[in-house]
Amino acid sequence: MSLPLSRTRDLVAALRRARDADDPMPPRERLPPVPLPPQRVFPSPRRRSRLAEAAAAHTTALVGIGAVGTRYATDVVLQFQAELAVAHAAVATQLPAQWADTNQYVSLVSRVADHRQFLLRPDLGRRLSEESAARWAATCRKDVDVQPILADGLSAVATMGAGPVLMAAFIAECEARGMSVGTPVCARFARVWLQDEIGQLARAKVAAILLGERPGLGTGDGLSAYLVYSPALGRTDGNRNMMSNIHARGIPPVDAARRLAVLAQLMLEQRTSGVELDLAPRAAELGEAARGGYRAPVARARLVEV
Amino acid sequence: MPVLEALLPKVLSVRRLSGADPALLRAYGADPERHRALGLITVDQDDPAYVALDEATKHAGVDVVFARSFYAGSRHASGPLSGEFLGVIASHDPAEVDAGLDAILATLAHDACFYGANADSSIAVFPHVIASLGRYLSAIAGLAPGDPMAYLVAPPMEATIALDFALKAANVRLVKAFPPPTETNFAASWLTGDLPSCEAAAMAFAAAVCDVAAQPRER
Amino acid sequence: MKLAATIRGVTHSFGSVREVLAKANPPKSGDDLAGVSARDPVERVAARAALSQLTLAELRANPVIPPEEDAISRLVEDDLDESAFAAVKHLSVGQFREWILDTATTGARLRSVALGVTPEIAAGVCKLMSNMDLMVAGSKCEVVVRCNNTLGLPGTLSSRLQPNHPTDDVEGILYSTREGLSYGCGDAVIGINPATDTPESTAEILRAIGDIRTRNQIPTQQCVLSHVLVQMKALALDCPMDLMFQSLAGSERANKAFGIDVALMNEAYDLMQRRRSSTGPNFMYFETGQGNALSSDAHHGADQVTLEARAYGFARRYKPFLVNTVVGFIGPEYLEDGPQITRAGLEDHFMGKLMGLPMGCDACFTYHARMSQDELEGLKVLLGVAGCTYLMSMPVGDDIMLNYQSTSFHDVPTVRGLVRKSPAPEFDAWLASRGISSGWTPGKHLGDVSVLR
Repeated sequence: MSLPLSRTRDLVAALRRARDADDPMPPRERLPPVPLPPQRVFPSPRRRSRLAEAAAAHTTALVGIGAVGTRYATDVVLQFQAELAVAHAAVATQLPAQWADTNQYVSLVSRVADHRQFLLRPDLGRRLSEESAARWAATCRKDVDVQPILADGLSAVATMGAGPVLMAAFIAECEARGMSVGTPVCARFARVWLQDEIGQLARAKVAAILLGERPGLGTGDGLSAYLVYSPALGRTDGNRNMMSNIHARGIPPVDAARRLAVLAQLMLEQRTSGVELDLAPRAAELGEAARGGYRAPVARARLVEV
Repeated sequence: MPVLEALLPKVLSVRRLSGADPALLRAYGADPERHRALGLITVDQDDPAYVALDEATKHAGVDVVFARSFYAGSRHASGPLSGEFLGVIASHDPAEVDAGLDAILATLAHDACFYGANADSSIAVFPHVIASLGRYLSAIAGLAPGDPMAYLVAPPMEATIALDFALKAANVRLVKAFPPPTETNFAASWLTGDLPSCEAAAMAFAAAVCDVAAQPRER
Repeated sequence: MKLAATIRGVTHSFGSVREVLAKANPPKSGDDLAGVSARDPVERVAARAALSQLTLAELRANPVIPPEEDAISRLVEDDLDESAFAAVKHLSVGQFREWILDTATTGARLRSVALGVTPEIAAGVCKLMSNMDLMVAGSKCEVVVRCNNTLGLPGTLSSRLQPNHPTDDVEGILYSTREGLSYGCGDAVIGINPATDTPESTAEILRAIGDIRTRNQIPTQQCVLSHVLVQMKALALDCPMDLMFQSLAGSERANKAFGIDVALMNEAYDLMQRRRSSTGPNFMYFETGQGNALSSDAHHGADQVTLEARAYGFARRYKPFLVNTVVGFIGPEYLEDGPQITRAGLEDHFMGKLMGLPMGCDACFTYHARMSQDELEGLKVLLGVAGCTYLMSMPVGDDIMLNYQSTSFHDVPTVRGLVRKSPAPEFDAWLASRGISSGWTPGKHLGDVSVLR
């Protein structure tokens, strides 16, 4: 069935035009000056709501921030965008090729060719380039208790920030406990598992890799540490112990270094690591690191002041 | 909303009875000898619905056996499915009833409707032109199927003033007047003439309703 | 069975159905990482052309992992509804796509064939669809489930409230929970990913959420997303567990890496039949995500879309209340950027719905993926239009425990308003009683936690 188009509707539309009433919108309102919206919100201390204040004692989640319609206040938008920008900037930053030399580390690189490939090919980031492997095997100190490795991971910003301090403190803590320490090394385009090959070539009992962790909102400067006993290609995540959130607002590097040295010592004593490692004997010294995958809460800092 | 925007009718219910009881058929004006299936529809605007039922008689083998407006219109409906109109079409063949209902729905969706005559559409006008009457309205109007007709509705004051403008705007004659009060308290009139005259009369009617709406005390 | 197609006079041949399925996939960094993707756009289209000619019966007969090698392949075969399959088995994948998109094919029709659709069939037809095809088809599918409330009714869009906390601080979790409820979030579930995977902490969090639900008479569900074994132990600690959670993957080996197998999931399901605190009849909650099999080297040379559909085949056995794909969480080595994450979200939603599952989507990215906040907001609206059952929700979309960006408390009422969809009806009535919202219209207490006790 098909009906003819409506003649009456066409006629009425023409009449509307003829009467100059064709604007499909109603006439505009005459507005008085728009009043200033109420001031919101988080996390400027002078503007913070009572709820946000109380919540901040328990969580870094952005709660009590109010809403305009169903969206964020401008203040919140800017804070959020600043946090996002910090995270993205940390991911995008690359470790300069000469940075390791400048800081007196042996400079190694994985099989990764560029930054995009680093993000897309974790398998290549877990193996040394042929040149690096050969040079490392030929020159490194061998048969050590602990092989310390600094690496870029997913935040070169963190590596270049607290990296050298953490590395130096960790080496000192290990030596103070009587462990022999391998040649300090710094690896570019490195994933966690690169510690297996580096440690294996040095015939180290424990390999410790300290590397920039995947940034969270507003936190591009955190380091993580992974330790593995008897490093060798083929180790899995179950063989490793880790500590994350190493930075000034989380676990300070000096504290982290001490706990990591205790962890290494525990591995040497029990000759194992990962799920099989019993952390109970040194739980007090390890602190939160005794709990697997522990993340310290991070204080949320206001990033935008206008 | 600006003036002369369409105010679309809402279909509130559509049902079909494929084999209605003879007593029911008789009670609603159908003939059990010729009719077996009924199509029923309720709408929140009555005049577009009368036009739609008439349209159905042109597209399907159906008769309009019942069509009534409800007192005081859809703002005072007896229930959410009532609106201000119940129409019933009938046929011996349920498929014809379906075809008739489809034509009614299409007409209500795309053709016949009231229009707002003032800014908030609190005044409504129905300046509808039927290019070619069906069997239903032609019979009531005393015209022949296929004749053109202007079907003009507005509230009492507006409709009365506007009818005068419509009659003087073109070569048309008044077929039937429905002075107030009607069931829904609107006033209506049916005019005929050739198609361009009906069109001119209908638009003169619509324009006049808008003018009365804008200047209700202008002597 | 012809595994070849000719484009501009060049014939492209493929060695197996698995290879055709893999190479027909739109570009995904995870398929590149697995070495299974098409070598160029032309070969990709040739694979699609070959795929379009295969019948559904041929796809069923050639699962990407042989049943002898894989328990998921066997489970899918065992559970398949033969009469539903018989209705469509003669169609080619190309014809099946057209049947799905046909206006005459209603949601009720699609539901009638859902249990006859194997993962390979769902993945196959998915690869012949554009993003808009996936949305049209996904929005037609009707999957309604019921636990303490009813999800998936036409015109509804629900959300999981995800108040995670880096140290499981219960007070901290409750602050986020109340905030989310005050924005109309949480009708799918109030679900917490715990930092500590122990029965005790699981039970403690469940009790805390149970309390706030009872006190405020909130018609929803609570769940702690610890490992299924941990939840089974927590059930013995007398805690209100409405839904039981587990991550699933599309191969036996990948599930083994998750610490589960079919027997364990059967056992967990039976235990919940008897011990759950919720009404049912649906009470399981599963999460999946493209790439999770490859990350444990358990992909068997198959592409990540097909493996994802196989996880749905596994999930389907347990008539789940919730399934969601955590689409951008796994990282850029599997889904590189905004377009890939967007595509994957729409694919997973469509495939899950086609197979009869109540699909939600965690539209998200990690901070090392190349996706902008604006692209992510776009994906949430696309999912809302495509009929996605539920989205996630957390304060400003920032998961402070898992460190990724997802849907925010504010996004949920925003998307509902944009696509004119309401929360689950029981929850909608509760929100209206508190003045938080009604349907998709915000109320005067939106964002006001003082209406909660």
